[in-house]
Amino acid sequence: MKIFLRLFIVTVCLLLTCGALIPTAVSMAADDGVVDFLDDEFYESELDSVQVGDPLEPFNRAMFKLNDFTYTWVFNPVATGYSHIVPWDIRAAVGNFFYNLQEPVRVVNALLQARFSDAGTLLVRFVVNTTGGVAGLGDPAGRELGFKAVDATLGETLGVWGIGDGFYLVVPFYGSTTLRDFSGTVVDGLVMSPYYWWADGWEEVAAIYLSKELNKLSLHLGEYEDMKQLSFDPYIALRNGYFQYRKKIRDYSTPSYEDKQ
Amino acid sequence: MKVTIKYYLTIFAVTLLLSPLVFHGTALAATPDPTEQLKPFLDRIVAELKSDEFKQDLSCRQCKRIVDLASEHFDFYEMSKRVLGKQWRTLSKQQKDQFVSHFTKLLQYAYIGKVEDYVDKKIEFKKQRIKGNRAEVQTLLVDANKSIPVSYIMILKGDKWMAYDIVVEGVSLVRNYMEQVRSILHDEKFPGLIAQLEKKVQELEEEKNKQGATATESTSNLDAG
Repeated sequence: MKIFLRLFIVTVCLLLTCGALIPTAVSMAADDGVVDFLDDEFYESELDSVQVGDPLEPFNRAMFKLNDFTYTWVFNPVATGYSHIVPWDIRAAVGNFFYNLQEPVRVVNALLQARFSDAGTLLVRFVVNTTGGVAGLGDPAGRELGFKAVDATLGETLGVWGIGDGFYLVVPFYGSTTLRDFSGTVVDGLVMSPYYWWADGWEEVAAIYLSKELNKLSLHLGEYEDMKQLSFDPYIALRNGYFQYRKKIRDYSTPSYEDKQ
Repeated sequence: MKVTIKYYLTIFAVTLLLSPLVFHGTALAATPDPTEQLKPFLDRIVAELKSDEFKQDLSCRQCKRIVDLASEHFDFYEMSKRVLGKQWRTLSKQQKDQFVSHFTKLLQYAYIGKVEDYVDKKIEFKKQRIKGNRAEVQTLLVDANKSIPVSYIMILKGDKWMAYDIVVEGVSLVRNYMEQVRSILHDEKFPGLIAQLEKKVQELEEEKNKQGATATESTSNLDAG
């Protein structure tokens, strides 16, 4: 287990240095513009995916194919079967449980990004959901008290600090990301999440990761198929969707859908 | 040559003179409410999609009717124009028409194929925002477990709000297609793009027929049972 952890930390450090070496201007330009769909300029502005760049496209396309294949023939059938056996409420609770354990990491990241009110929200969420939500199985903080989930990742923190995205990356069994964001995810996920500390050996880590992802997938069945059905170049569609969605999540200036008129 | 220049100048001058009147006119007439137009329109489409007549229609004969209905508040021309971005201006009128018709067909198959998505979902109307002749209507597509934010981006044409983009969870449909189209145009030029669109539409058509076949099977099974 120790060797495994060390190996990861070394990889992460290597990845981070690579990310840091890549000019930061790229990420600044990509993260800055506020999206206004009512502005025609928005439609003519440069796409994020173009600014970040995809120099590894042949490799990424191969990984996309691999992921598509394993998704279609392994993960999707398994998750579908699982979704028939286990009712939605329980799967949602399992998802909440894993999500809640990562909440402290989000608090730290929100603080590192100087998003103090979000850090407060996240802290309240963690405390309330761990106690009132029975170890994070429920989400009373979001549902009853109005402390809605916000995201704060290390990838984002690094972006705020001026480290560039590097380039677009499709990771096997993980999906769309960028070099910087993936480095962040590895640290956030594997090093900072308590459920991986309990694991004994890499097999258990992999098993935890897979069950976590499978459970997550069972809550989002059909979404990937929809995306694929609607597009004539699914690789590009997914890449573009990833960047647009990421931008939306990280654009804190836009009011959320929850505040009614 | 001289005549044409003079002709254009006159038109230009007349337009300039009239434009304040026109703008004044539209400013005086109250801007119609986008949500009030969108809501009954979407209700009608969903009702149509849910109707038994449509469900049993395997050869998609009713699809044309849905598209006609959708065209009332969906502007496929504006949509296509934005999907092609800067390339739009380089196309001939014929090419433009060709792209619009193929793209409309793709959307028709892609979205009408997802009927069951709407059957047990409810559309909740949230905020709306108007900026000049543009408007955004935010909605939530809600079912028992999840709610997905869907925004309609619209342009005012006459007294009608016409949607030209749909934004699902922050992902603009137009921008997504735009990038796909761009890479194909770059590699294979316009004929290649049309070929790809045709291929995709054909794929969707076949899938729809297959779905139709399984649908009849299950209904006949039900009848038997």
